[in-house]
Amino acid sequence: MSRGRLGSDRLATAFEMGLREYARTPVLLALLAFLPAYFVGIFVYVLPASEVPITVPGAGRTLVATIEVYGVLLIPMMGALIGGLAGLFVMLTARDADGRLVVAGYRPVHLVIARYVLIAIAGLVAIGVSIAVLAIEFVPERVGWVVAASFLLALTYGMLGTLSGLILSRLAGVYTMLMLPMIDVFFFQNPMVEEYHWIAAYLPAHGVIKVATDAGFTSSVNLDPLLGAVGYFVIAALLATGAFYRSLRV
Amino acid sequence: MADAREAHGGVGTAAGRGRRLRAGVSSHVRAFVRTPINVVLLIALPIAMVEGYGAAMEAFPSLPFIDTAQMVEMGRLNGAMYTVAFFAGVLGLFQVISALQADERLRICGYSRVELFVSRLVTVVIGSLVITGVSLAVLWWSTPVAAPIAAFGALALAAFIYGLIGMLIGAVLPRALEGSLVLVFLVDADDFFSSGILDLNAAILNVFPLHFPHQLFRDAVFDGTVATADAVGGVAYLLVALAVVSVLYVRLTGDGGVAA
Repeated sequence: MSRGRLGSDRLATAFEMGLREYARTPVLLALLAFLPAYFVGIFVYVLPASEVPITVPGAGRTLVATIEVYGVLLIPMMGALIGGLAGLFVMLTARDADGRLVVAGYRPVHLVIARYVLIAIAGLVAIGVSIAVLAIEFVPERVGWVVAASFLLALTYGMLGTLSGLILSRLAGVYTMLMLPMIDVFFFQNPMVEEYHWIAAYLPAHGVIKVATDAGFTSSVNLDPLLGAVGYFVIAALLATGAFYRSLRV
Repeated sequence: MADAREAHGGVGTAAGRGRRLRAGVSSHVRAFVRTPINVVLLIALPIAMVEGYGAAMEAFPSLPFIDTAQMVEMGRLNGAMYTVAFFAGVLGLFQVISALQADERLRICGYSRVELFVSRLVTVVIGSLVITGVSLAVLWWSTPVAAPIAAFGALALAAFIYGLIGMLIGAVLPRALEGSLVLVFLVDADDFFSSGILDLNAAILNVFPLHFPHQLFRDAVFDGTVATADAVGGVAYLLVALAVVSVLYVRLTGDGGVAA
């Protein structure tokens, strides 16, 4: 068997084992679907039918319904929360087994890719469910870009979750992944503010929320802010991957 | 021989039970503080959240549905409440999840299920009181607190309620990822809706765990008052939570902590 073929087989096996791990925990699968539905659903139910002024990058100051503002924020928020926690726990629970797989001949890169794909799936499920529930009340103007931006944030937080799980502790990692997405997306990046706090520019969701807001309320989306978001993701991925390699002691 | 053991506080006596409870609590507390990052979190978390929320709210403009002109102070209050609820909830959750195997061994050593529950509960209460004290101190440093004791009581109430909820989630769903997910979604929605930042009037919000603590905390910090109805509601909520969690925890954790 060629080396390339062996590598792709191992990657597929590692990924399949990860998927089976998901399938073996139906409660987790149910929660991945139910919790975003609950969260978005309760916002749709509770938020007042008032209008608020927001800053839309492509349209300036605009008056929109409160649920529409939070709808645009909720989709990336769900991706960030689920992606972050998935990153934290997928890596933590798989670390010991992955160490043994490396001893057995697996290349760490195969394991890293397989784990990251699992994190991406968790984020996508959360985003898909959130969009579906939100559609009861509001459909963003350019759904595809909202999903793409949210997915990027889910991946970024997945990397940050992985990193925090590896360099902090489980408990500290959970605190970080519980609080950071909430305060980042809902408060610092909230488009209701007229002028962002200086801290906002250094947080993971900055470019993503700008693009999501633009895509939510205009038909032409300015993708420039995504560059910074992609850069954030790449740096987070490099750091997380480095920490993962180090944890495997290879 | 057996009489001599009884006389010195043996297995079935009150003294023996008290000693076992102290041993259980001190071992749980030691297990927590053995990890330095946990101790750092006790200090860093309130500072980051109280000041972070305050900074985040600073940029908000005055909006028609926002119920206050004191945006930064409201942000800091919200950060303090969020911190204690989160910390206590996660502490309760991981107290239970990480306790499963240890509790099995303690059960073999003669601990009853009730003793195990009480020792976990006391540990969560101690953690809740510490994080409450630190959070209030951080808040007080930057924001005047009109009635400090009432504010401490309101924050502690939130911490106790979420400590119990964390224990409950840990008993029903004793896995780290699943338990954390449930807790995250519960606290995030609860804190956001109960915070008073939005002017909401849906009836369902009255049964959210932080509804009464948030009201009490705002009154205590801004006005120095305690609304009797909110205090009674909050304490009643705590007692009901305690009763439900006690029954479910003792039942679900079966012989030494193996949840169904």
